[in-house]
Amino acid sequence: MSAPRGIRADGWFRLQHRAAPYLFVAPFVLLFLTFGLWPIVKSLTLSMYATSGPKDQVFVGAANFRFLLRDPDFRIAVANTALFAFWSVFVQLPLALGLALLLSRRWLRGREFLRLVFFSPNLLGQVFVGVLFSVLFVPQYGLLNNALHGLTEPLHRWLSFIPVVELDTKWLANPALVMPALVLTSLWMYVGFNMIYFLAALQAVDQDLYEAATVDGANGFQQFLAVTLPGIRPVAVFVLITSTIGSFQLFELPYIMLGNGSGPNKAGLTIVMYLYQMGFVTGDLGYASAVGWTLALGLLVISLAQMRITGAFRSGAE
Amino acid sequence: MNRLTGFPYGIAALCILALALASGVWLAAQPIGNSTANLTMWTFANTHYDAYKAAVPSFEKAHPGVRVDVQLVSGTAVTSRLQAAFWADLDVPDLVEVEISSAASFFRGPLEHVGFLDLTDRIHRAGLWDGMVQARFAPYTTRGRIFGLPHDVHPVQLAYRRDIVEGLGIDVSKIETWADFVAAGRRVTIPNKRYMLEMPDTDASRLEMCLFQRGGGYFDQEGRCRFDDEVGVQTMLWYVPLVAGPRRIGGDLGGGQILTKAIEDGYLLFLAAPDWRTRSFEMDVPRVSGKMALMPLPAVKRGGPRTSTWGGTMLGITKRSPHPDLAWEFARHLYLNPAELAERFRGTNIIPALRSAWRQPAFSEPRPYWSNQRLGDSYALLAPQTPYQYASPFISTAKGKLSEALVACVQRYRAEGDAGFEPFVRRQMGMSAGELRRLMSRSPFL
Repeated sequence: MSAPRGIRADGWFRLQHRAAPYLFVAPFVLLFLTFGLWPIVKSLTLSMYATSGPKDQVFVGAANFRFLLRDPDFRIAVANTALFAFWSVFVQLPLALGLALLLSRRWLRGREFLRLVFFSPNLLGQVFVGVLFSVLFVPQYGLLNNALHGLTEPLHRWLSFIPVVELDTKWLANPALVMPALVLTSLWMYVGFNMIYFLAALQAVDQDLYEAATVDGANGFQQFLAVTLPGIRPVAVFVLITSTIGSFQLFELPYIMLGNGSGPNKAGLTIVMYLYQMGFVTGDLGYASAVGWTLALGLLVISLAQMRITGAFRSGAE
Repeated sequence: MNRLTGFPYGIAALCILALALASGVWLAAQPIGNSTANLTMWTFANTHYDAYKAAVPSFEKAHPGVRVDVQLVSGTAVTSRLQAAFWADLDVPDLVEVEISSAASFFRGPLEHVGFLDLTDRIHRAGLWDGMVQARFAPYTTRGRIFGLPHDVHPVQLAYRRDIVEGLGIDVSKIETWADFVAAGRRVTIPNKRYMLEMPDTDASRLEMCLFQRGGGYFDQEGRCRFDDEVGVQTMLWYVPLVAGPRRIGGDLGGGQILTKAIEDGYLLFLAAPDWRTRSFEMDVPRVSGKMALMPLPAVKRGGPRTSTWGGTMLGITKRSPHPDLAWEFARHLYLNPAELAERFRGTNIIPALRSAWRQPAFSEPRPYWSNQRLGDSYALLAPQTPYQYASPFISTAKGKLSEALVACVQRYRAEGDAGFEPFVRRQMGMSAGELRRLMSRSPFL
C-alpha cells in the first residue's frame, strides 16, 4: 500500500524547498572554494617559503616579510602605487563628480550623447588603452607632443614664463613623466565610469530638499554642500573605496605601456607589477605571496580608515 | 508536470539548473583531443616559423611515420606558458625556442628540476662544441651544464644611412675606434634634429652591448654578479656623456613605426645592427633601400674586437618529451644542415652558430638594400670575435638594475656634468649591483 498522493507530493516539495538553495549556491561555493579560498590559504602558507617554482620550497618563516620591509624595490613600488592612487582619487573623483553634476543639468543639450562619450573609454580594455596611449605619447612624431608643442610654442613667444613642450619629450622614458602619463591615461579611462555612479546617485537625491534650500536662500554652492554631498555620500564612499582599491591593484596599464621593466628607474613599478615580477620572472612564488598579503592587509587598513573618515560606519549604525 | 511546477523557484530556474548540469557533464565527458604529431615545437619568431615549416617535409621524408607540428607562440607566452607547464607537470612541446633574455630564468632551482634536457654530453659527442661558436653556449649554460643549442651568433655592426653620412663628409673606412666615431659624431650631431647614433638613455640595451664588447657583463662564468667591476664602471663613464649633456651624440625615440620614421628622416644616422636587425630594417624601412650600409663596430682600442652581441635564441628539448632522441634529430636537422641554414639565411639574415655553414654561397651574395654589400660575409667575418655573455636566473633583474644605474648616472650628469661624476658612477653601480647580490643571496637553490 503506497502513501496517499498528496502526502508524497508534499514530501517532494519540502525536499526540493530545502535542497534548492544549496543546489543553486553549490556551483559558486565549489568554484570559490577551489579558485578562491584554496589559493588564499595556499598563498598564506607559501609566503613563509623561499621558492623556485612550486617544486622547490624551503621554509623560511617570516623571513620574506622581514626582507620585504627592507626591500628598496618594494618601497619604490609602494611609493609609486600610493602616488598613483592619490592622483586617481583626488583628481579622478572630483572630475567625475563635476562631470556628473554638469551632465545632470536638464538645460544641457545632448547630455545623453555626452554621457555616452565620457563613458565609452571604459568599454575598451586596459590593454587596448595602454597600446593607444603608448602611440599618443611617442616622442617627436606622437600626437600629444605635437599638439602640446604647437600650443606652447606660440604661447611662449607672448608669455615667456610658459615653457615650450619639446617634440622629443619622452613621456614613457623620462622617470619624472612616467607617473603623469599613467595618471592621464587612467583619467581618460575611468572618469566617465565613475561619473555614471555619481549620476545615478544624483538622481536619487530628493528634489524637495533643493526646493526647500532655495526657499531658505541657499545659493548653488551651499546647496551642493548641504544637500548634494550628504545625498550622494553612500555612493561617494563606495566609489572612493573601489577607486582606491583599483588604483592599488594597477597592473595592466604600466605593463603594456612600460613593459616588464616597469619604465626608467622603475618609475612605473606598482605593487602588483612587483608581485608579478617576483612570482613569474624571478620565480619566487613565496616572496610574491608575501607581497600579495602585504598589499591585501594594506588595502584593508586603508579601506577601514576611509570608511571611518567618511563616516560610513556611522551611517551604517544609523 | 505537477512535480515540475512544484519546483520552488519556477520552471525557468529549473531549466537553468538542468542546462548548467547537462552542459557541465557533457563538457566533462568530452575526450581530450589527441595530437597526431610525434614531435611538437614552439617558436616565437615569424621568420623562424616560416623557415622551420619549410624544413619539416624533408625531415618527415627522412623519418617515415614521423609527423612534426611547428607552432608559432608569442615570446611572452612561450616564457609564461612553458614555465607554468614545467611547474605544474603539464604537457609541454618536445622542442622549444626561447629568447636569450628569458632562457636563464628556466635554469633556477636544482639542476634536476630544470625542465629542459641536459644537452652537454650530446653536444660534445656530436662535435658541436668545436663546430659552433663556443661563446654562444654561455647564455644557455648553468653550473657547467648546457641546456640549449644556440640558434645564432648575433654579432653587431653599425647600420647607417650611407647617402646622408657620405654627404656629411664622413668616411667610415677611416673610423676604427670609438674615439674616431665620437669625434665624427660631435661634428654632425644637431640636438633634436640629427643624432650620430641610436643610443637610449633610459634602458641598458646598448650599454650592455658596449659592456660585452669591452669584455664585461652582468655575470661571471660562475653566475656571480659583476657589472659593477672596473670594466662596468669605465663603460658607464664612457657611455653617459654620449647620451646626456651638451656634447651628446646619441639619441633615441623608441622602436616600431617611430624608428622607421627616424631612419627615413635621417634623425638617426647610425644604428646598432646585429644580423637579425638588418632583416627588420629591410622589412620596416623599405624606402631607404640602397641607401643603407654596414660597418663593423668601432673598436674600443685600435686592434681590438670590432663587434659585440645583441639578442639570441636557444633551442631546448623538454625533459617530458617522450621522444628525446627524435627531438635531438630534428634539432640537428634545423640547426646543423648547412644547405638548410644557407636558405634560411636568405630569409632571416641570421648567421647560424655552425661555423661550417658560413662557407655556403648564400652568405656571399651582395644585398641591394645594403648598397650591394655582402651581408653574410661581413657578419661571418666578425662572428668568431663575438664576446661571451654569461647568464643567471637573475638576468632580468640584473638588466633592470643596470638600467636603473644608467638612469641615475644620466640624471646626475645632466645636472652636474663631469664634476664628481666618477665617484658617483662607482657608488651607483656598486649600489645597484649590491641590491642584485642581496636578492640573489636569498635563493637557497643557487
